[in-house]
Amino acid sequence: MRSLGELISLACRLFLAGLFLWAAHDKVWDPATFAAAVARYDLIPLGLVNPGSVLLAWLELVVGLCLLVGLATRAAALWAALLLAFFTGLMIYAGFTGAGFDCGCFPGQGDHPAGFQAALRDALMGLPALWLLVLPGRWLSLGRRRERPERLTLSV
Amino acid sequence: MIIVAAAAGLVFNLLTPQGIGWLPSHMAEPQWQAVDLVQAVELQKEGAVLVDARDPGDYKSERAAGAVNLYPEEIKLLWPLLEPTLREAPAVVVYGRYLSRWPAAQVAQFLRGQGLPKVYVMQGGLTDWKRAGLPVKSPRRNRP
Repeated sequence: MRSLGELISLACRLFLAGLFLWAAHDKVWDPATFAAAVARYDLIPLGLVNPGSVLLAWLELVVGLCLLVGLATRAAALWAALLLAFFTGLMIYAGFTGAGFDCGCFPGQGDHPAGFQAALRDALMGLPALWLLVLPGRWLSLGRRRERPERLTLSV
Repeated sequence: MIIVAAAAGLVFNLLTPQGIGWLPSHMAEPQWQAVDLVQAVELQKEGAVLVDARDPGDYKSERAAGAVNLYPEEIKLLWPLLEPTLREAPAVVVYGRYLSRWPAAQVAQFLRGQGLPKVYVMQGGLTDWKRAGLPVKSPRRNRP
């Protein structure tokens, strides 16, 4: 039973890692295009668009890397859940305002229109993050190696 | 985690050629002038063409009456089609959404780059336009 939980945690972690790394790749590499995508929502003041979009792109990358190697998994999962909750809200807002443009979620990787459908997608993608908050798992995790000596010390 | 992301983003943006500054050039060094709603209406009365810089979906659903659609993503494709109209006009007033004015500024900067002498960006966007009771055009719905 515990192995099943570990397996689900590993699957959730790798799925989210892949998702965030895939989403972050073009945003990090082409910050001008992503900044323009952020600006289209017209939600943050102009002076914060560039720094905000850079921070968001790199946060996605860092979260994705942490999830991939299993480092600070719970914290990374919390960030993933918060980001996906934010994106879900943003897509609902876009749906209500009738914005028909590309959501900018995966720049350069096909058309993903902003709106209610994207909101549902983002909400569903948040479920693995919630699972990891409860059960981060230890399989194939760097965090596990770091914790081992502490356990040995305690047992001695 | 957020500090690591901020530091990495800062370093990457400083060291790589594709890095971006605090503001884009069309806002840091604008070649257009900002006008308020009253000034925009006056300019339109004098023959200025209104340009809607929002996406085509937004434009189709609602726009200021008489506005043409020119948006950043396909600006180079659409420019040849709209060039005769915009060159003939005594001035061009670009509007977008309401907070950042980013797409409108981008379009305005492009138009100035094409040699149009009088290009303005309307502050407030379509929301303020509607609030002031100015004419908007939206598609008619088919009645059964």
